[in-house]
Amino acid sequence: MLKRLLAISAVALAATAPAHAADNNIFNGKTITYIVATAPGGGYDTYGRLTVRYMQKYLPGSRFVVKNVPGAGHIVGANTISAARPDGLTIGTFNTGLVYDQLLKRPGVRFDLNKMSWIGKASNDTRALVVSKKSPYKSFDEILNSKTPVKFAASGIGSAAYIETRILQDALHVPIQIVPGYDGNEAELAMLRNEVVAQIGTANSLEQFVNNGGGYFALTISETNDLPMVPKASQYAKDDRAKKLVALVSTLSHIGRLTVGPPGMPPAQLAALREALMASLKDPGFLAEAKKLDLPIVPASGAEVEALIKQILNQGTDTVAYLNHAAS
Amino acid sequence: MHLDVALSTLVHLLTTPQLLFLMTIAVPMGIFFGSTPGLGGKLGLVLLIPIVFGMPALTGAVFLCAMHAVVHTGGSIPSILVGVPGDGPAAATVLDGYAMTKKGLAGRALGASFGASTVGGLLGAVFLGLSLSILEPMILMFSPAEFFLLALLGITFIAMLSGNNFLKGLISGFFGLMVAFIGLDPSTGDERYTFGQLFLWDGVSIIVSVLSMFAIPEMISLGVKGRSFDPAVAAAAAGKSEFVARAAAEPVSPPARPMKVKVSYAQIWEGMWDVVVHKWLVLRCALLVAAIGVIPGLGGDAAAWMAYGHTVQSSKNPETFGTGRVEGVIGAETGSCAKEAGSLLPTLFFGVPGSSGMAIMLGAFLMLGLQPGPTMLTEHLDIVWSLIWALAIANVICVIMLVAAAPWIAKLGSVKAGFLIPYVIVLALLGCYIYGGNWQNLVLIAVMGSIGYMFKRHDWPRAPFVIGVILGPIAEDSLLKSLALGGIGFFFRPISMVLVALIIGSIAFYIYRSRKPALNKAAAVKQDLGKPEVKHA
Repeated sequence: MLKRLLAISAVALAATAPAHAADNNIFNGKTITYIVATAPGGGYDTYGRLTVRYMQKYLPGSRFVVKNVPGAGHIVGANTISAARPDGLTIGTFNTGLVYDQLLKRPGVRFDLNKMSWIGKASNDTRALVVSKKSPYKSFDEILNSKTPVKFAASGIGSAAYIETRILQDALHVPIQIVPGYDGNEAELAMLRNEVVAQIGTANSLEQFVNNGGGYFALTISETNDLPMVPKASQYAKDDRAKKLVALVSTLSHIGRLTVGPPGMPPAQLAALREALMASLKDPGFLAEAKKLDLPIVPASGAEVEALIKQILNQGTDTVAYLNHAAS
Repeated sequence: MHLDVALSTLVHLLTTPQLLFLMTIAVPMGIFFGSTPGLGGKLGLVLLIPIVFGMPALTGAVFLCAMHAVVHTGGSIPSILVGVPGDGPAAATVLDGYAMTKKGLAGRALGASFGASTVGGLLGAVFLGLSLSILEPMILMFSPAEFFLLALLGITFIAMLSGNNFLKGLISGFFGLMVAFIGLDPSTGDERYTFGQLFLWDGVSIIVSVLSMFAIPEMISLGVKGRSFDPAVAAAAAGKSEFVARAAAEPVSPPARPMKVKVSYAQIWEGMWDVVVHKWLVLRCALLVAAIGVIPGLGGDAAAWMAYGHTVQSSKNPETFGTGRVEGVIGAETGSCAKEAGSLLPTLFFGVPGSSGMAIMLGAFLMLGLQPGPTMLTEHLDIVWSLIWALAIANVICVIMLVAAAPWIAKLGSVKAGFLIPYVIVLALLGCYIYGGNWQNLVLIAVMGSIGYMFKRHDWPRAPFVIGVILGPIAEDSLLKSLALGGIGFFFRPISMVLVALIIGSIAFYIYRSRKPALNKAAAVKQDLGKPEVKHA
């Protein structure tokens, strides 16, 4: 259903957009700044640096420079990209979770993802629940039926993981006691210490912890095919609030490691960047390097990403109200 | 201990020209970044990460580790010679190191610093290697309750580092805590003292805090002509009593800095010999800090100050620290360097950085394709040992380079104020801007630098402020987690009770000490000038 919706949206967008054959010489002699909304090192920076290396190849004469603009949970970087001149010479990447920040009208947000120029995405962001092997709970059903609140680790208040944990608590009525403040891999350490039982995060980043025997995937909140044997949250969504919130998280899961430009980018530049990105993400050399660095690649075009983002952001007021309630 | 792997990786490092070359060029880079006020080792890592992207994992990791291993040693140079630290731990060296320079003991301070850094770094690497097999249970023993109590223990050092001005020290420390709490509330997400500014959501960086409290005030102070006068002479000239003359006068201060700093190899060796004389202090500080560095949650910056605090606490004359005690330099520098080895462990094995530098290093490891986790011990032990050896080898290369170049390095202390002041201020501003990419940090450092100058001008201790800034967030975060995880009962765990006892003992010891007659400062100064020293307990 979702794939059909995506396909229809992409076709509709392509049909309405002015036809521009991509001119890959359009950036000849130009320098493109690729903004990464994190400090150097880490997943976003790695994806970004690998991507631009190959985009350079498919945009002859161009030169890419990676600039790290960290701060405020990717908001500073996203604001910077949004405020850049829309001439195609400034693009970048940030956490997809900023969608929540826009929906919740978080202070400090000066971007409008609806208007940004979407170039594409490199991966999925499948959201999954990992439960510690040291806990007494052997399945999600046991957690759901627990008589006492179950301790979940989450990163900072307002982060995507925190909001999604609150969605489980509020919409699926899972008895959860959230313990925020666990950044990076601290939550895994907390699970090994038996301080907390579970956490929600990106399946890819939790995979090693699971493979090392620290925990198991108990639930996925996404409809992606990354964890086919794991129960899906949609099975537990009984009412309208739950269904809409789970659908929201699931749709977001299809967008990971995005590349985007400021609003109002000229169609010619946008088309060239989109084509270069897609070619990069399919390049055998890129895929080999990505495999070596253990970076999963599930590409999608800018048009598809744009359709998804518009679908997510144009939620009904009831969904936004549900989200506000969950995040409060 | 996997002796076979340890030896084979050492041989591999020493016999692979590319790795040896990279370690050799990494060391002067690390010294450069550490010794340039405003830059610092973390910025060095940030700038080098794009360069190592694409390198083989071992090559890139060894290069970065070797660079990072020596930044604190490099940071001791401006701390001692001009009183300007590059980061939080280096500020501890300023307290006694710069005081030694003002007394004409720069060479001895440098020698003690180089020796202590090297030995501390080597001991940290040894500790790292020996504790590999007991690492996991050791790390898992500590919970947020223990992190909070360790942070509290560090905060009690505020009293010990206040010298004779306990109340001023307390206020300074609480001011530091107040600055540390600027940002988003970890329990509610509310903005605290951000004034609607996005750049303050992540709080005030330690770099800005340290430069504001030390670099800027020192440079302002240099620019303002210091006056020294004899109250008796002034009173006689004015026909007034000495008491009135003193009350009306500006504080008598020593010369802002020596006109000329000359360092000989003899002085350097004397300082390095001090490290041997105080070998038990060095061992205690190195083990303490390496152990703290291993436990993720407290942070390496805090560990270095804990070493300094322990040095002060274990001395028979704690009130003389800050006046130029070589033990102060030794403790601070041992702590600064030993912590990096310890903090490498949780970074590699759990993906949880043990220090702020390791937080950046972790990102670099991921970028190089190194996946931190238990498999590092089972499948990549060769890489682990290579990094341990890289830390050790880099420290050895560093001390050779620095001792050889010491007389020329010391000329930094003789640079005229007119040249030094703009140079340091520009670098400090540059460092603050580059580190966060926020121009607003420049405004912040100007405001806080003014406050820092007032502190210095009116003889308010600044070390407690740095402790407050470093330990405040750790204490708050750990306390909130502890209460959420187990309530107040969480603090009745065995290790927590031991730490509570340590805190109570530390405070009691301080109160007991402060009731003893003050030590004759001249006697303590004489000890530093070569007369038989009173050894630490």
